Amino acid sequence: MSDDERPLGSSGADDELSLPKATVQKLIHDMLPDDISCAKDTRDLLIECCVEFIHLLSSEANDVCEKDSKKTIAPEHVVKALTDLGFEKFVDEVKDVLKDHKQQQKEREKKTSRMEQSGMTEEELQRQQELLFAASKARFDAAN
Amino acid sequence: MGKRSATCKFPVARIKKIMQADEDVGKVAQATPVLISKALELFMASIVEETVKETRKRGARKMSPYHVKRTVHENDTFDFLKDIVAKVADPVEGGSEAAGDNRGGKRRKTGKKESDDSE
Repeated sequence: MSDDERPLGSSGADDELSLPKATVQKLIHDMLPDDISCAKDTRDLLIECCVEFIHLLSSEANDVCEKDSKKTIAPEHVVKALTDLGFEKFVDEVKDVLKDHKQQQKEREKKTSRMEQSGMTEEELQRQQELLFAASKARFDAAN
Repeated sequence: MGKRSATCKFPVARIKKIMQADEDVGKVAQATPVLISKALELFMASIVEETVKETRKRGARKMSPYHVKRTVHENDTFDFLKDIVAKVADPVEGGSEAAGDNRGGKRRKTGKKESDDSE
């Protein structure tokens, strides 16, 4: 998987990368008490702060990764970076997310192995799928 | 405090792109941007909470960029944001920029210029 330079419509300036305003807006809104609102400028400023935080965290995690003599930044490096930067209070929840993620990965792997264990060949599975499609198409046509 | 599900998250691909905008950053494990998304959420919560305190302290009801600036300066952990908030103007006496929520109180001494020579 090589990182190819794809023209993204802008002159490839990575500095223009930002986070979706709607997501940030919703997040802020959920956190605010009822009597306080957020100005648009403030939201934009907070977005910039977020991006800066990502840069900071990435840079620190990268250092941790290098000291670990690894080439890929692993989640564990991020956790250490958080502590180094003074955000140790985040560590517990972040570790939870890591646990959830690993769990989901395991379940995903179980699903693929389940397919192999179903005892049907790929052809049979495909035929089953085609039958299902035909059935739903027939239902659709009937409804029309 | 109920555990919030991870549904309201930031886009993982976007985070990865932002990470790799840094030349030093090479490969990134798949789970890593997911963690950063969570850390980001917590960071937002933290800074919003502190900013709300500033807003309330000033008797305002709307969080303005200036409140964020104050928060950054009062908290060491938010040190890295000093450059970002530097461009935010301090409310001038009688200025209408801050949506009229500044009561023209103490004027900050602008003699404090700290050029941060990091690395």
